[in-house]
Amino acid sequence: MTDLRERVSPPEPPEPPELPVSLSVDDQIVPMWRQRLRIFFHNKLAIVSVAFLFIAIAACFLVPMLHPTNQTDQAATFGQPWNAAPSIHHWLGTDSSGFDELGRIFYGGEYSLTLGFLAGFITIVVGTTYGMISGFVGGITDTVMMRIIDAFLSIPYIFLLITLISIFNRSTVFLICIIGFTLWWGNARIIRGDALLIRNLEYSQAATAMGARKWHIIRRHVFPNSISNIVTVATFSVADAILFLSALGFLGLGIQAPQTDWGTMLQAGTSQIQNGFWWEIYPLALVFIAVVVSINYIGDALRDCFEVRLLER
Amino acid sequence: MLLTFSLPYFEVHGIRAPAYVVLGTKATPYNVAIWAKEHGMDQSYFVRFWQYASQVLFHFNLGRSYKENSSVWGIISLYVPRTIWLAAVSLMLTTIIAIPLGIYQASRRNSVGDYTATGVAFVLYAMPSFLLCMLLLDAFSFHWPHLPNSPPQGVEAWAMFTSPAGFILPVAALTMLSVAGLSRYMRGTVLEVLVQDYVRTAKAKGCSSRRTLFKHAFRNALGPIIVLLGLSIPALLGGALIIESVFNYAGLGIQTVFAATNLDVPTVLGITLLVAILTLLGNLLADIALGLVNPRIRIEGTKA
Repeated sequence: MTDLRERVSPPEPPEPPELPVSLSVDDQIVPMWRQRLRIFFHNKLAIVSVAFLFIAIAACFLVPMLHPTNQTDQAATFGQPWNAAPSIHHWLGTDSSGFDELGRIFYGGEYSLTLGFLAGFITIVVGTTYGMISGFVGGITDTVMMRIIDAFLSIPYIFLLITLISIFNRSTVFLICIIGFTLWWGNARIIRGDALLIRNLEYSQAATAMGARKWHIIRRHVFPNSISNIVTVATFSVADAILFLSALGFLGLGIQAPQTDWGTMLQAGTSQIQNGFWWEIYPLALVFIAVVVSINYIGDALRDCFEVRLLER
Repeated sequence: MLLTFSLPYFEVHGIRAPAYVVLGTKATPYNVAIWAKEHGMDQSYFVRFWQYASQVLFHFNLGRSYKENSSVWGIISLYVPRTIWLAAVSLMLTTIIAIPLGIYQASRRNSVGDYTATGVAFVLYAMPSFLLCMLLLDAFSFHWPHLPNSPPQGVEAWAMFTSPAGFILPVAALTMLSVAGLSRYMRGTVLEVLVQDYVRTAKAKGCSSRRTLFKHAFRNALGPIIVLLGLSIPALLGGALIIESVFNYAGLGIQTVFAATNLDVPTVLGITLLVAILTLLGNLLADIALGLVNPRIRIEGTKA
């Protein structure tokens, strides 16, 4: 039986050469995002950053719930020492108004992180929409839209933020909007570049040739393929928003008392620096820098895991 | 260009009644009405915009400050040299430090030096600029008092040469901040160039690694860096604003903060306009420099 088959069948094709990367069936059916996630979590520092960010967010929102300390009512500080060094009652001392510094870090973090994430979200939504439209429509619309961006980009953000905030009011909602709506220009430009590139790629053109509607191409081709840049840019925007909020806090234009945010707290702390009250600045500075560094690092790691080209090196 | 300054104008004007800012909160409605009439506040936005724009464009007249007894141009011309000096010296130092640093990091990729520099840059990048300034102040003029904590208060730009000690800290802070951003980009760009085919060819032909790095990689990485230097001017001026506030450096940035908190709209407008023009000039210079460095762009330009 075997002899017969050997005689009938053509000679066996040679074994395919061993691929450097094993393309097992498992690998092939793993969805794209999970592959990316796997690459992302190969990066040990990225795991640390994500973990730290989660812990920081959880702490800022949960600790005040579990152990409420009054951080807005000056009356609550009666009888509390001012500028007290760390002790068993106040683990990180008290600030110049007698508020507990540790509790205040959590409390300020709620504002800083919420504002940062919401402003970053606005940034990315507006920037993506604008960039997609500009890049996809192209032609004169694109030119006009990009010239508008150029005009905005020629004014440093901080000048514009200061101007707007000093003219309008200083409520929290307004701060979110103003930071969100002034930081999106750079993002729009990046995403516009992506949209322009993808629109001219073969698969988009094939879809157009087959009669796909524009909206369909944006939804099925342009958007999913530029998601890597969108996600990366969004991460950096959040870090930027937190930094800009802190700069505004330093100028006294940020969150207004009795509420506070990290920038305002750092400003209050730095004004005490000559008195040697280190606990009003260094713990918070460490937390602040660690949070922003981890957000930036997550952004970097995300970019790395989306950039297949970089992995080969 | 017109668009550039129309934007802040539209955003700024007519939100709060400026008459109360000038005349004080206790001004009578009669006086307010007269002031508004005098300043054309009863006209529509477009008419006022046209008046402002034509004054600026044809008469170089930026109006009068609401708060200071001076024209806006007077304020600007007094303070702008100091800010330009601060920014220019920092930009020069940034270029001198960041470019070699980036090349070093790229050529010794994943070495201890690379990781250290990347780590430091990350932390600096994540720091609010005023915090960095405060830490510098704390270290160098308080704990280890060798440097004055603020530059001389006169507005002459030449003070930078006559008494340089006071300028060290502001310039150092601004330079550190921009080096942190730029060296990362430089590293990335050089890395990208180093894997190109022509670099491999050069190596294969027996070029020494030093020669490969400087003759082939560096020259090709220069283009993106020049563009980036041009684009970093707004960031530099924005950083200068915070740094001027911390060090009490009498420059344009601190004037903006004063004007903005005092609702001195014409001054804010004038300064924003000027900063936008400076930025555009910077971009123009970057474009010209790019043409000088990269012949390909020149040729494409003449064709088009």
